[in-house]
Order: sequence, then C-alpha cells, then structure tokens
Amino acid sequence: MELKELKEPIADIKNNTETIINVSGFNVTFGETRVLKDIAVSFYERQVNCIIGPSGSGKSTLLRSINRINEGTDQIDINGMISFKNTDIYGKDRDLTLLRKEIGMVFQRPCVFPRSILENVVFGIQHHQKLSKAEKLEIAETQLKAVSLWTEVSSRLHEPAHSLSIGQQQRLCIARALAVKPSVLLMDEPTSSLDPVSSRVIEELMSELKKEYTIVLVTHNIAQAQRISDHLIFMCEGKVIESGDKEKLFCNPDKIQTKTYLKDEYCDCNQ
Amino acid sequence: MNRKLTNAVFKIFVWAAMAASFGILLFLISVLFWKGFGAISFDFLFTPSSNFGAEGGIVYQIVGSILLIVFATLIAFPLSLGFAIYKSEYVKSSYVQNITDTLIYGLNGIPSIIFGIFGLIFFVNLLNTGISWFVGSIILAIMILPTIILSTYQAINSIPDSFRENALALGLTKWQLITTTLLPRGLSGAFTGLLIGLSRAIGETAPIMFIATAFSGVTIPVGFFEPVSALPTHILALAQQATNPQALQNAWGTSLVLLLLVLIFSIAALWRRVKFSKIEY
Repeated sequence: MELKELKEPIADIKNNTETIINVSGFNVTFGETRVLKDIAVSFYERQVNCIIGPSGSGKSTLLRSINRINEGTDQIDINGMISFKNTDIYGKDRDLTLLRKEIGMVFQRPCVFPRSILENVVFGIQHHQKLSKAEKLEIAETQLKAVSLWTEVSSRLHEPAHSLSIGQQQRLCIARALAVKPSVLLMDEPTSSLDPVSSRVIEELMSELKKEYTIVLVTHNIAQAQRISDHLIFMCEGKVIESGDKEKLFCNPDKIQTKTYLKDEYCDCNQ
Repeated sequence: MNRKLTNAVFKIFVWAAMAASFGILLFLISVLFWKGFGAISFDFLFTPSSNFGAEGGIVYQIVGSILLIVFATLIAFPLSLGFAIYKSEYVKSSYVQNITDTLIYGLNGIPSIIFGIFGLIFFVNLLNTGISWFVGSIILAIMILPTIILSTYQAINSIPDSFRENALALGLTKWQLITTTLLPRGLSGAFTGLLIGLSRAIGETAPIMFIATAFSGVTIPVGFFEPVSALPTHILALAQQATNPQALQNAWGTSLVLLLLVLIFSIAALWRRVKFSKIEY
C-alpha cells in the first residue's frame, strides 16, 4: 500500500541520457575468488542509477571500485576500465584525493567522527580548502538544509554528532559527502541499517538530490529500487545480467532471471 | 543443592584469590612504609649521599633516575608511535604481521640482564662510550619499546575500518587520515603504554648497573657520556652493606621513594585508561 503512495508518476525523467561513468571489461579478484566478471555497464548523469541483486552478487564491489576505496584490501586484483567524464579512473597519474572529491560516498552504516555536528559536516571539505569559522557555518547550514536536517540540529551544532539518532547520523553523513561538492554520490545500501521512517526520509532525499547529483545506489530492497530508481542494473554472481530503464526491467525484462528476481527475489543465474 | 554448593565454592575461591593478591600487595607496601618512612626527611630527599650512601640523602639518585627515564621516553616514544602506525596502517601481508608480532613479543621476553650485557659489550666496549647515563637511557628505551608499541598498535587497530573508509572517501590523504582520525586515539594508547613502561624502567637495576651508573663519587652529569647514580642501583649498593643499620635504614627509605615514583606512574596510567575508555567510537 505504501508502495503505491510514493510511486512516482512516470514523469519526464528520461530526457537526460548522458552517461557519466562507463565501465567496460572490468574484473575484480579477491585472492582466488573472482568477484566481478567482465562488467560492462553505464551510469547516467543526474539519475538514480540503482544496482540490485542478491547478496554476494558483487554490487558493493562494483560500487566501491568507482571511487577506488577497494584498494586497501589485501590480495585484490583489478583489471579493466572505468571511465569518469571520459577519463580513466584507473589511469596511472589519477589523483585519488581529487577523484574522491568528485565522487562522494555514503556507506551502509552511518559513521560519524567523534566530533561535533558542525565539525562533521566540514570534516572532508576543510582538508581541500582553508575555511574561516564563518565559512564553516555557512557550509554547514547549506548542506544540513540540503539533507533536511537543519531545523532539527541548528540549535545544537556544537554538540557531539553521536547524540543524533541513527537516521539523523546517516543524513549528516550525506551532508558531509555533499560538502566536498562531488558530482557523483555513491550510496552503498544507505538505508539498510535504518528504521522505515528514516529510510523513507533518505529515499525522498535521493529523489531530491538527483536534480544536482548523479546517484549510484546499491540496494537489495527491490521495493526501494522500484520507488526511486531511474536506471536499473541487475547483477548476479559477479555478472551484470541486465540493465536498462526501471520500467523496462520491471515490466518487460529481456532475461528470465531478471523477471524471477524482481518478482520473487530469487535468483538462479545458471538458468 | 549440589549446583548451589559448586556456586558457593567457586565464589569463595575467586574471593580468596582476590583477597590473597590484595593482601600480599598491602603487606609489601605496609612493610615499606613502616621501615622506610622513618628514613625519609627533607634532608634525605634533597642532600647528596656520603659514606657510600650510609649517610646523607639521595638527591643525585632521584635526579639520575628521572634523567634516565626522561631520555628513555624521548627515544622510545616517537619510535614506538611510528612502528605502531606502520604496523597497523601500512603492513598488509599477514606474513609480515606475524614477523613483527614475533619480534615485539621476543623483545619483550628478553631478560633485563641481557640488555645490560648487550649495552656493556656494544656501547661501552665496542663504541667506547664509557659508563654513560645516555647509554642507559637507550637501553631502557629499547626495553620499553614493545610495551608502548603494543598498546599504541592495539589502540589504533581497534578503530573500526569504517572510520578509515569514510575519511578516505571524503578525499583525505593517508597522512590526513592518520593525523585527524587515528592519532588522537593512538596517542592515548601510547601514553598508557609509556606510563606502564616507565614504571617498569625506573625500577630496573640489571640493565643499567654495568653501563650507566656508579655507586659513589657521582654528581649531576653535565655531558651525555658520564655516569649517574640511580635509585635501584643505590638500593643494591646499600643492601650490600646490610651490617650497617644506618645503610639499611637508607635502603628502606630509597625503596619507598622508588615505590612512590612507580605509584605515580601507575596511577597516571590508570587515570588515562579510565579517561580513554570514555572516548566513544
């Protein structure tokens, strides 16, 4: 029932079909296990690009390859190509700091630093440019408003960020990522550790944010994908099974696996 | 009934274990206070010793011991911090991790007299430094390295990876990640380890008796390569003249001063630990 209420009208969201991130021939191996197999997929600018699939299908690995946060992992082997605005993300002289400034990330569990709310918002940006006290406050206000947290915290900016609820902490993490002024926001199951009400707030926020940012969202919640995604990518066992417009995949998928998964949340990729 | 009995017996056993340990500690401390308190006076603390320590005070010994551990800190602290950060943040291979673990625990397990002999052979004889308090500080620093490294490493390593990922994903460099996020907590662990290490180092006799200290004729050093007199070695010297009641009395007094210094470090370490456990992550 709730599903119906929020289901967006099939509006004119498809006008924009510019791709911003293109993945081709991309493989990731952890030790002996091949986690991503020959991935070729595109993400569209200013849309909610949603990666769905069962656990262990490689969704998060693909997402984490885009800002190269995977690289700290032991025994990881990466080959293939991901381009961002037509430049190779894995290029030799790629500056990771600049890359991550352009491509922000929000994780599954909100992770606030043991500092005040204000200091958390400016935690990233203050390492990229010198900020005066007034500028910090201004950034905090703008970004906290963008994640509709301002009215709740404006009077307690100097209190520890831990004092916020989990849902508020997650919005704070989004504000912190936005403060760095990225053009892409990677979101790795951002609502999976939140209660339904907080999840809904974040979903609404994503629909709002896509006007300015490209969102790449990983979720295993099919209903959520149906509510907010524009472009859908279905992954299973390290492969992209099908990708395309949400309506196409939900109503008329090419592959039988896609249909089974979206209908029954069940996947047998070897069919 | 039987279960209740087992329960009661177990409870009595753990209580007795606690009471016995506490009792022994209390006994030791009370004896030290009982015997040593009489020796301590303003003059005892602030005048130099004479007649091989049987008369006079222990001001040079106090200064010597503090000098030894201050320089041991200056040497050991930055080294341990660097080692712990490297081990926690840069070593990825579990093979190398095992090697460093073995090295640290191995170093920690070396008997202190071996450090003394090493110092004597390497520094005093081979490098020809002579008896020097600075060499003593170096040896004490090596001795307390494992304690500080482990406690710093554990503090840094216990920070959840999500903090690292979140900081890096915001575009921070590794250096910025370390200084803003990891070090504040790592330092806390390092200080705890340092205080525990120092409370051990200040009481060590074996590593410094051949290389850093002399029993008499020593004043406050003006250079790096001069001997000092220290509290534990002074106790040793006084105990060897046990037939002289005045010397024995001073030995008790010196022991009490040493114990109080150790107590200060231990309480500071405990206080830090309590304070540090309040930081939420």
